[in-house]
Amino acid sequence: MISINPKALATGSNTTFESKLDLHNLSPEQVALDINKLNLFYGKKQALNDITMSIPKGQVTAFIGPSGCGKSTLLRCINRMNDLVDDCHISGEINLHGNNIYNKHVDVAELRRKVGMVFQRPNPFPKTIYENVVYGLRIMGENNRRNLDEAVEKSLRSAALWNEVKDRLHESALGLSGGQQQRLVIARAIAIQPEVLLLDEPTSALDPISTLTIEELINDLKEQFTVVIVTHNMQQAARVSDQTAFMYMGDLIEYSDTNTLFTTPEKKKTEDYITGRYG
Amino acid sequence: MATLISSNRSRGVKNSLAKWLITLGGISVLFTLVLIFLYLLYVVKPIFESAEIESKTNISLHLAAGEKVLSTGVDELQEVGYQINDAGSIDFYHLKDSVKGASNAFKIGDSALSTSLLESDDFEDKQVAQVVNSFSANKLVHTVTGKTLLVQPNFYATYDNDVREIIPLLSYPLGQNALIIDEQETPLTELSFAMNDELIIFVGFTEDKRLIKTTYVADDDFGSSNDGYDVEYETIFQEIDFNHQVDEIKVTPDLNLAFVRSGSTVYVYELNEEDDANLKATIVPTFTNSTTQLTSMALLSGSSSVLLGDSNGSVSQWFEVATDNGRKFKQIRTFETSEFNNSSNAASNTNAISAIYTEQYRKSFYTMTETGLVNVFYTTSDAHLWQGQLVSGEPEAFAIAPRANGLISVVKDPANSNKISLQTFSVHNEHPEVTWQALWQEVWYEGYPEPDYVWQSTSGSDDFEGKFSLVPISFGTIKAALYAMLFAVPIALTAAIYTAYFMTPGMRKKVKPTIEMMEALPTVILGFLAGLWLAPIMEEYLPAIFLLFFFLPLATLLTAFIWHNLPNEWKDKIPETLAPVLLIPVLMLATYLAFSLSGVLEVAFFQGDMRQYLTNDLGIDFDQRNALVVGIAMGFAVIPTIFSMAEDAIFSVPGHLTSGSLALGATQWQTLAKVVLLTASPGIFSAVMMGLGRAVGETMIVLMATGNTPILDWSIFQGMRTLAANIAVEMPESEVGSSHYRILFLAAFVLFIFTFVFNTIAEFVRQRLREKYSSM
Repeated sequence: MISINPKALATGSNTTFESKLDLHNLSPEQVALDINKLNLFYGKKQALNDITMSIPKGQVTAFIGPSGCGKSTLLRCINRMNDLVDDCHISGEINLHGNNIYNKHVDVAELRRKVGMVFQRPNPFPKTIYENVVYGLRIMGENNRRNLDEAVEKSLRSAALWNEVKDRLHESALGLSGGQQQRLVIARAIAIQPEVLLLDEPTSALDPISTLTIEELINDLKEQFTVVIVTHNMQQAARVSDQTAFMYMGDLIEYSDTNTLFTTPEKKKTEDYITGRYG
Repeated sequence: MATLISSNRSRGVKNSLAKWLITLGGISVLFTLVLIFLYLLYVVKPIFESAEIESKTNISLHLAAGEKVLSTGVDELQEVGYQINDAGSIDFYHLKDSVKGASNAFKIGDSALSTSLLESDDFEDKQVAQVVNSFSANKLVHTVTGKTLLVQPNFYATYDNDVREIIPLLSYPLGQNALIIDEQETPLTELSFAMNDELIIFVGFTEDKRLIKTTYVADDDFGSSNDGYDVEYETIFQEIDFNHQVDEIKVTPDLNLAFVRSGSTVYVYELNEEDDANLKATIVPTFTNSTTQLTSMALLSGSSSVLLGDSNGSVSQWFEVATDNGRKFKQIRTFETSEFNNSSNAASNTNAISAIYTEQYRKSFYTMTETGLVNVFYTTSDAHLWQGQLVSGEPEAFAIAPRANGLISVVKDPANSNKISLQTFSVHNEHPEVTWQALWQEVWYEGYPEPDYVWQSTSGSDDFEGKFSLVPISFGTIKAALYAMLFAVPIALTAAIYTAYFMTPGMRKKVKPTIEMMEALPTVILGFLAGLWLAPIMEEYLPAIFLLFFFLPLATLLTAFIWHNLPNEWKDKIPETLAPVLLIPVLMLATYLAFSLSGVLEVAFFQGDMRQYLTNDLGIDFDQRNALVVGIAMGFAVIPTIFSMAEDAIFSVPGHLTSGSLALGATQWQTLAKVVLLTASPGIFSAVMMGLGRAVGETMIVLMATGNTPILDWSIFQGMRTLAANIAVEMPESEVGSSHYRILFLAAFVLFIFTFVFNTIAEFVRQRLREKYSSM
């Protein structure tokens, strides 16, 4: 168990993203999300045990671990998607800007606007490409055509999809390939300018070439957003993330910068996992 | 390798057996459907066929030189025909197994049946001037010296050696002695008569130009008379003041009216007062061409309409119509015999209608011209059924068989005037009253003030004409279905949305099968509950029913609002599954409140009785069994259909789409409106269409709760009759093979098309939409 003290001294505001952060001692400005003693139960079964960690701002953080280890559950806690699951009880805190998102007065819809999410399977709505991208803006009440047009172009460019679809914005999104659909879903998520982007195994349903495109995209996205990614694929975690957390049976086993975790893991379980003994 | 083959054999056999069985099943379903379709068409087809007339027999008559045939006729089965000639004899002929050219004179034993009618000493000259026909079998024989005899050629069947033979028999209802029609016994140039059991009325025009009306009033009754028994009657002679030439006279069979044609004017006299005849109306047809004149007149079966034929070859139908100034004779429609030759040149004279012959029981008539051109029309359906030349030249005598399935005519050979022959024709004209136009357009029926859509297939009277407009019953079908949908769609869809999207899984597992079980409820139960229980309640508590439409949603919203603002400690005490059950007592309370307020409202706003207020003050007719009752009852029948399919559609919207929307910060409500309903739309649409299909085809509820009044009225307080209920009500009463029977099959066919169209649209749209959303 790694304990992180969020109130630890800052390592300096001039720290560049390339330099290694001390995950245990992040300054408040560097922290995007602060998870504190989070426990989650499905009915009587505990799925997350006392998770405490800080996710740094403007970086890519990966959750890895074998199936059923709780990495997706933890991700879904961050934007309260677990609220939709019956019999799910949560204790502990997740702080965004120092506010606990599990506080009674939090507007869940508002939270989800700040913490966007992309799922395992591409899930475009049965609407046009354009309407898919502006969906989040429209439900916020934005109907100004020019603003919407701008947002569509900006988001699709950010998602590296603009050149492929700019001539067929008003055709059905279901006509796109799987990789394109996933990038469209990313564009849709970033159109509402979230602070954090959660990616739940975003490439597991895609072919290798689409996977590569998405991975390059993730690298670009961290300039604007804090990215949290759940992945099954250790190589992917190694390629795209700055920090990696290894989870096992609902416990956070090890959390450090990606390089360290993959080269010199501190825990036996981590080493067994990354060397393929189980998983 | 060998073992592999043997072990595969039984699997292969099973496989191909299953394949064949499944294919057979599928094909037989298709085959049955096609068979039903074809059978419906097969039954319906004859009503759209036009008439056919074909020659049957041709018998040469052996008459003395110069003898003329004045009248002809045939028995019901068309086995024996007869002719009455001017020598005063009636001759019968075999028609059944005739040999062309043979005499076929009817024989009993060895003697041909040829009877002189004028046996009595009263008839000293035995020279007949005219034979007057009536709608009954009676004929008046009038001699040149003004003597008259009433004769009735009858036929009866004998079964010698089990072979049916038709034997003719003459009867003389008023005896064989001469009747006196004119008090002064002047010969009559025109004569018409009609009789019933108590009265005979003759209207005639004498050679010395007097219009006379003579009434025989039976002491007992005319009907029980037979030969050898003298009927006693009283004779009333009258003279009608009339200063014109008379060309034709017709007395209606109901003894009410006499139509007297003088040139191109028809005078209508009322006869129903025994000792008087009042001029009731004059009919003066207007012609586009001033040279056109009336040339003939006939009464249509049913004694309401008169047909007037003119020299231009058209026939107009007139009957009395209620107008603002009382009942007036009006020209209803015109039939053109010379559609291709309407000019007023010399040829138009040959178009002149020389005679009109009407059928005894139906509204068909035949027109004859001098050249022998025959046209067949049916008045009500405005149908021109047949045109052609049956014989060359105008026949000496012409008659329609009693069952209207044959014609008999006596024709003089144009080349040799001594060569006279009796010809018969068979007529195939079973359903002249049905045309596509009569089924779907307004028809002006006799006695109606204007053309209308009417469905009235039967009545108590014999001379009733079936009125077969499919418009009121198709309208009723659509009206019933629409009111049912108006009630069912909002309830079924909101219930489906709630169950699929908001309800807890545990409760959904109970609620959904319960509602689906409602579908299995026999509709006859819903029907009689609606007709016998709901309809009287709704009539009594009418304001309560309308209050409920506001109270129930209001109570629901109010409860939801209170629940929402309830402290959590209270909420936690009630399990989430049971929370919706809290609504039930609230809704019951709202219903109770509405019913208690009903009386108060009636007193306050509707002068004590809303129903009477509607009828008397607002002029809205109120039927106890009305569209409101049907809407609710059939709505209940349709709700499970729509609910079940729509719920499936909404529930099967992929969870990742809902999550996707929620993850973008949409609320549950936004997600429902913008993603879930959109994605489920094909299923929801086809659910609604299936519900509509069911409402259109539903029989028992509409049969028992609509009142079955075939009227065209959208009013929610009026009943209706639907296609399905109409078939159920009338099929047991219709005669197999009749027009009515076939039209009921046509109604079934229309119903089939209705449901077929709804289901096809539903399936088509569903496929299209599913294609659109296929890759999800």
